[in-house]
Amino acid sequence: MHEIFSQLAGLLTHLGEKPILVIPLLGGEIRVDWMTILMSWTVMTIIIVIALFLRRSLRQPVEEKPTRVQATLDALIDLLQGQLSSNFSSEELARMMFPFVSTLFLYVLVSNWIGIVPYLTSPTQDLNVTFGLALLVFFLSHWLAMRKKGIRRYLRGFAEPYAFMVPINLVGELAKPLSHAFRLFGNVLAGSILTTVVMAKIFPLAVPAGLNIIFGLFFGGIQGFVFAILAVAYINVAVES
Amino acid sequence: MLQEAQSVASGISGADIVAAAKYIAAGICMGIGAIGSAIGEGIAAAHALDGMARQPEMQGALLRTMVLGQAITETTGIYSLLVAIVLLFVV
Repeated sequence: MHEIFSQLAGLLTHLGEKPILVIPLLGGEIRVDWMTILMSWTVMTIIIVIALFLRRSLRQPVEEKPTRVQATLDALIDLLQGQLSSNFSSEELARMMFPFVSTLFLYVLVSNWIGIVPYLTSPTQDLNVTFGLALLVFFLSHWLAMRKKGIRRYLRGFAEPYAFMVPINLVGELAKPLSHAFRLFGNVLAGSILTTVVMAKIFPLAVPAGLNIIFGLFFGGIQGFVFAILAVAYINVAVES
Repeated sequence: MLQEAQSVASGISGADIVAAAKYIAAGICMGIGAIGSAIGEGIAAAHALDGMARQPEMQGALLRTMVLGQAITETTGIYSLLVAIVLLFVV
């Protein structure tokens, strides 16, 4: 049992076991996990490099026949628009939010998929990353709601339908980013723990590859989609209700 | 017989009992916690299939809503998983 746990300890650094870099600040301290930062920048680099590479084939007049890459990218953008931003109730909000939610989707997707490469860990396996993304969505939705409705109507929204419901509404709002972050984190962490345990103890070769396909590719894709579509739902509810 | 049992019992320290309780608690937590979300996801999938069989042209929207609903239903299962992980590795 102990070998498994010592191997798993490497996966569980984010639970407060092994801070890599400690920065003292105003009496407290900031703990930074180097691996998460490195993998996060790796994911960003992959996305940017692919985007720049694909962009080269787009430099031509619009009236010419589109290249194969361009047609594929058109299909991808159509898919993202149809699946994600068509869920916004107003056309204007959908156009404004489409770059944000599709970036969120691509980042989470590549983060989940990079975990299937041996010796690399998903950045989304760290609670700090998913919580940061969830807080981003939380503050964005409330800021947009304040800007759209005005501060008075925004605050009055918490007292609906009755004034004594204010605490319940507040708890409900605060639980949104929590569950948003924990869902992605828990799914990715569970997949990687399961794969590590099976690889370490039960079958060394074929079964971990199958588990990697199921947990890394399939669940990773589903969770990336769910994360983005929940961001859409939260923003839409906050702005339109 | 009784003396044997007593000698075995005197060899068990408090740390052993805590470790055993930790594993049992993590198992119970995960096992019972998975029931609710599993039933909920099954109900969601069943009703989505029902709707798809009735109106195949609505398949895309139904699938999207089903996945979203299942992801929200799954949250309670994920919470119990987190509690189990905390019990196993942190406590």
